[in-house]
Amino acid sequence: MNMKKLEKYEEKCIECHACEDICAKTYFKSEDRGKSRIKINEALDEKGQKINVCNQCGECMEVCPELALTRDKRGVVRLDSSKCVECLMCVGFCPYLSMREHKDHLEPFKCIACGICPKECPTEAIEIVERV
Amino acid sequence: MIQMNGRDHDWYEGMTIQSLITDLNYTYPILLIRVNGTFIEKENYGNTRVQKGDDVKIIHPIAGG
Amino acid sequence: MSVVIAKERVDEMKSSRRVLKTLEYTPTKVQKGYTDKTLYINLTDNQVEFKDIPAVVKEKFIGGKGYGLWHLWKGVNADTKWNDPENEIVISPGPIAGITQYPGAGKSLVVSISPITGTVIDSNVGGHFGPLMKFSGFDALEIQGKAEKDVVVFIDGNKGTISIEEAPVETVDSHILAEELTEMYADDEEDKRHISVVSSGQAAEHSYIGLLNFSFYDKRKKAQRLKQAGRGGIGTVFRDKKIKALIVKYKGVKGDSNAPVDVEKIKQVGMKLHKEVHDFDDEQCQMRQVGTANLFETMSDYDLLPVNNFQYGSHKDAAKTGGRAALKKVLQQDEPDGCWFGCSMSCAKSATAYELQTGPYKGQKVVVDGPEYETIAGVGSNCGIFDIDYVLECNFYCDTYGVDTISFGTLTAFAMECFERGVIDKEVTQGLELTFGNKEAAMELLHQMARGDGFGVIAGKGVREMRKLFVREYGADENLLLDIGMESKGLEYSQYVSKESLAQQGGYALTNKGPQHDEAWLIFMDMVNNQIPSFDDKAEALHYFPMFRTWFGLQGLCKLPWNDVEPISNRSVEGPEAAKVPEHVQNYVDLYNAVTGNNIDKQEMILQSERVYNFQKVFNIRLGVVGIEGDRAPYRSMGPVTKEEFLSREDRYDKQMKENIGIDPEGKSLEEKMKITRDFRESQFAQLRDTVYKRRGWTVEGIPKVEHLQNIGMDLPEVLEVVQPYFK
Repeated sequence: MNMKKLEKYEEKCIECHACEDICAKTYFKSEDRGKSRIKINEALDEKGQKINVCNQCGECMEVCPELALTRDKRGVVRLDSSKCVECLMCVGFCPYLSMREHKDHLEPFKCIACGICPKECPTEAIEIVERV
Repeated sequence: MIQMNGRDHDWYEGMTIQSLITDLNYTYPILLIRVNGTFIEKENYGNTRVQKGDDVKIIHPIAGG
Repeated sequence: MSVVIAKERVDEMKSSRRVLKTLEYTPTKVQKGYTDKTLYINLTDNQVEFKDIPAVVKEKFIGGKGYGLWHLWKGVNADTKWNDPENEIVISPGPIAGITQYPGAGKSLVVSISPITGTVIDSNVGGHFGPLMKFSGFDALEIQGKAEKDVVVFIDGNKGTISIEEAPVETVDSHILAEELTEMYADDEEDKRHISVVSSGQAAEHSYIGLLNFSFYDKRKKAQRLKQAGRGGIGTVFRDKKIKALIVKYKGVKGDSNAPVDVEKIKQVGMKLHKEVHDFDDEQCQMRQVGTANLFETMSDYDLLPVNNFQYGSHKDAAKTGGRAALKKVLQQDEPDGCWFGCSMSCAKSATAYELQTGPYKGQKVVVDGPEYETIAGVGSNCGIFDIDYVLECNFYCDTYGVDTISFGTLTAFAMECFERGVIDKEVTQGLELTFGNKEAAMELLHQMARGDGFGVIAGKGVREMRKLFVREYGADENLLLDIGMESKGLEYSQYVSKESLAQQGGYALTNKGPQHDEAWLIFMDMVNNQIPSFDDKAEALHYFPMFRTWFGLQGLCKLPWNDVEPISNRSVEGPEAAKVPEHVQNYVDLYNAVTGNNIDKQEMILQSERVYNFQKVFNIRLGVVGIEGDRAPYRSMGPVTKEEFLSREDRYDKQMKENIGIDPEGKSLEEKMKITRDFRESQFAQLRDTVYKRRGWTVEGIPKVEHLQNIGMDLPEVLEVVQPYFK
């Protein structure tokens, strides 16, 4: 199975939030970092993560009642908006708290390993890895 | 004697929370236990001694059905 | 494995249809959880009306069960019987029903006059019908009258069409009918998820325990799954009205379809609960893995599992045949089965590719919904049967034939005990060897109900009718049958042994619709935790919990996510308050306010229920269920009826005699001890009843006082008119 994901190296992260800024801007045309699909925690979250981003494990696919979450041929888990009923079970059930949501939107969102944010990272704390 | 959920219950030397649970056949997976008002964590059931005269509450949080 | 419907079959159904009525309408958009519209259909003359729901009705009855009761009250009179044309079936979700973010928020409440109790019945059911109906423009569907020939009613909420059509060739049994109609009305596989079917089955036509199946399309199994409005025989009314099915089709469910005023609040509360279920369910109830059946082995361990018609409370084979480990082997665990969107609790379980061993579908591999706790205990242990394959088989046939597994279990257990005690014999049962544990005989009894032949027709009328018949025709001892016949108001008991919990004896008998445990389930609080020792404590619990639980039925909610997952905060709540799960009660207050824009608190919530609860109580009085006789409980629900029962727990009863009654059992004969125990327990029950009535604002005869009705705001003129004669 192909596996494409955003790999993280937390020790390199300097908390500049550049990744969040570009992500929110790219997908929501917003300067609100809360709309980024990657999250940088200045204090570690309850899973002990500094960089919170989807690792494409796919557990959310199992809980989706509408089969709206599927893995594409490159191994990336993607949400089909036409099927999503916005129940947010995927948010509650993500083992890494990486399914994101925001008050301006009913639908959750997640990292799709697009590769835009690593280009902004000054310390190479994130990179796209792809295994075939 | 101890007080077990407000009722008299026979006490014996060496009684622990775990042995009490076993004696009572309390198999329900979630129990909320207090001894003289102090909450006992599950991992301490085996090493928590019950003393003569203790007030033990073993609450089953089940109001379902 | 699902039933596959061939194109030829669909063509055959279509070509044999005869349209009786069709009309177009503009669906009213939902606002703050409501459309304020009722769809009224009279099947006698195919009249269809769109009624506005008055503001005062919305204020006092809220929705769901409240709307059902109000419509029914208007439609019937004091003499209406279940099979009179003016009897109605009302289906209503509720204002919260249809949100997708919080578990258990897609329920429909069904209300009718019951064939088995003769009074009002309400049943809470999952599946997609209620929410899709609301999004199609209706807060309630009110069906009156009787069709001449079998019909279906189809609502298309996107196109805005309603049609009543004669449907002569469709199958009656639900597991096929739901698939046939889905195949017929869906444009393609993707479209099937937008369809929900309400149907019953063949046995509903020949018994008083018919149920309604509400479907939801399972995209993984590619099959219509069935959830049951089980209690009280509404399926029997449905088939008596010659309804084969109700179908709704609606595409476009989203997180704001219910048009709440504060969707962000709903999202936050919903995500919090999803996370609780995710974090705690595996170590707590395992609802996601085995569903409500997780209770089966627990009940046996605590001597609460009904065995052989509620004689005993445990059995050595319980864990082996219905324990969590045994269940995990037969149930699909890797798939989340919620009966509405967003139900992370996912208690809906299924066994797939189960090969049927008996009956008309023998040899077919089918999807079996369940089994739920009530079913394993009812058709299993209570009938002395400890065999998971039998439970699946019986569960499947009960569902597809359209009968309630709870009533079927309890009435079969009663017939078995009557058979074993020689009250009836093989001549009466027409050859069935109805001994405890005889699963072949029990299955045959069910098939007879479906075919409408043999002893199945007699048994299908329920415990109360069987008792009357056995006394009248076969010289049975009426007192014995009153003691062992586990019914109250004519409804069969659900599956818990209440002998050692006085509060639960009240929780079963001091109820509006009969001994279903949905009003109050107090066994552990009372018997094990000893948190409500006094009569006043028990009466307070028998006020609070029935009122609180009634609220789920007003809103279109499921009870399970309330207390089948325990939040961390509950650890610091001490005493009986913990059983209320305060954090989750606040969730519901928040959800209601976020949907409707109202601003209630926990007290107002109880008041909303109290109005409807008392209205239902008065409805019972109007239909003739009055006084303490209406709340009669069989002695088996309170204590040991027979010598064997007494002797099986003799140490317990002797100890209680000494400690609780103050009589030394030493030197007393068995008969004397049984009488002392009985007198004590019956007097305790009577004292409890008096205390509960008082707490609820009723007279000692159980009549709501005028002043109480005024205080709670349920003093509508027609309500006062029913109670006033009792105060002259």
